[in-house]
Amino acid sequence: MKFGKYLLDKFIEILIVFLGYIIILMMLLAFKVSTDVVIGISVVFVLICFSVILTGYLKRRKFYNHLISNVEKLDKKYLVLEMLNKPSFYDGEVFYEVLYDINKSMNENVKKYEIRLNDFKEYIELWIHEIKLPIASLTLMNHNQKSKIDKRYVEQIRRIDNYVDQILYFVRSENAEKDYLIKEANLKKIINNVAMRNKDDLLEKNINFMVDVGNIRILTDSKWLEFIINQIVSNCIKYTKDNGEKIIKLYIEEDSKQINLHIYDNGIGIPSKDIKRVFEKTFTGENGRTMSKSTGMGLYIVKKLCDKLGHKITIDSIKGEYTDVIISFAKNDFYKIGN
Amino acid sequence: MRTILIIEDDKAIRDELKQLLETSGYKVILLEKFDNTLEDILKNKFDLLLLDINLPNLNGEMLLKEYRKVSNTPVIILTSRVGEADEVLSMSYGADDYITKPYNPTILLLRIANIFKRMENNTNVFSYDDIKVYPSKGLLIKDDKELDLTKNEMIIFTCLLNHRGDIVSRDELMTELWNNEEYVNENALTVNISRLRAKLEDFDVLKAIETRKGQGYKLL
Repeated sequence: MKFGKYLLDKFIEILIVFLGYIIILMMLLAFKVSTDVVIGISVVFVLICFSVILTGYLKRRKFYNHLISNVEKLDKKYLVLEMLNKPSFYDGEVFYEVLYDINKSMNENVKKYEIRLNDFKEYIELWIHEIKLPIASLTLMNHNQKSKIDKRYVEQIRRIDNYVDQILYFVRSENAEKDYLIKEANLKKIINNVAMRNKDDLLEKNINFMVDVGNIRILTDSKWLEFIINQIVSNCIKYTKDNGEKIIKLYIEEDSKQINLHIYDNGIGIPSKDIKRVFEKTFTGENGRTMSKSTGMGLYIVKKLCDKLGHKITIDSIKGEYTDVIISFAKNDFYKIGN
Repeated sequence: MRTILIIEDDKAIRDELKQLLETSGYKVILLEKFDNTLEDILKNKFDLLLLDINLPNLNGEMLLKEYRKVSNTPVIILTSRVGEADEVLSMSYGADDYITKPYNPTILLLRIANIFKRMENNTNVFSYDDIKVYPSKGLLIKDDKELDLTKNEMIIFTCLLNHRGDIVSRDELMTELWNNEEYVNENALTVNISRLRAKLEDFDVLKAIETRKGQGYKLL
């Protein structure tokens, strides 16, 4: 708060006081009061005016400077009212009370949306459990009459299941609550689950699926990681080259700090202009547009889940040659205590 | 014959499961009402329980906990809940396995077979006529002659042996191989089977594996 601007703001009041002073001065001169008295009265008058303006200014300066500096310091600016003392001047009090009411109504509004969003998320989770039942029925029915129904049905059911999983993990990755569990897991087992899910596709497209991860154990949520690897492997399967031997290779590299899981394929690769943006929400890029329909959500969800689990994920690729997705798991003995 | 009790409230899944298990040679009991579930379970005699966690008016996990107090019969949990925490909880209440819906039916059958295999507690030796089969060693022994099989060949041979006399489809063999982390392709499967055949011929087991065109293979 600047004094100059405050004075400018009080221009009309100062003008009225000044006019009053002129009238008093003229009256004093008309009654022929001696010059000394006039000067004395003038000095006292100016002093009174000045101190009235100054006390008003100081009171306000204290309140507003406190408000401004708090707003600047806070990263959640809407909480500023919690840190403010009630002002000692009337217009400030009015202002404070209005702010308080606005704040309260905004909180209620936000709360309303929070409740709605949570209801929605709960409903989605419930819905996913429900939709899994008919999917399970269909899978079983299909299997029970496998001589009559061909494999393309199974393939389509599997696609439905994958899309349903995508919604489930999207909701989970957006959720502030922690519904994952980090513990030691066998990487080979998780990869085996992914392989079984994609077996028919891999065989159909004649892709060599190679796994070399030994018996390594990593700290992760195995369900989440299975989803993550499945998304990436699905992409590998989707974006293969038409000719030549097709390879998907999962292997690990280890150093003292971390374990890197490489998911390598010799498919069509990603153009260098797109590679930085593949984890962005709804980004589809050149491959997504030209090859097949893509929602641009898969890798976005993958990235969010990795962030939550504390795994680092990077992509390295040369267009037309290869794509290498690397997931890094921290080695942290801290988690192992108690096992 | 092994008996399996299914507790599943979704009728469509229940009936299909029954059909799946019956065609695989198990006897199946179904529970259709869930008022006195625990008592109903205990009234029946069975070797394995397939339990759905989401039951009407009932928490499957609590049911499992109660059941474990009175019985040690193996339990496989079937659920549509996809969460590490649910799995850990179920296992801590004494489930022997945990499978999420929709499951691959072949894998479900494999898991069930595994549990029964563990129960039999045998030393993992099979026999094929007068030949002894040691899957863990990859060895066939006849009198004093030995035949070494690779891991893939052994998986194929034991799978055919377990279904001796029946046709086993290429897809089933493939599932069995992949489930054992051998990610072979169609060509490799063909090669493995012809190698296995050649090895068996050298071992004086003639024409043991029959090819049924478009259907699969059969061990005579």
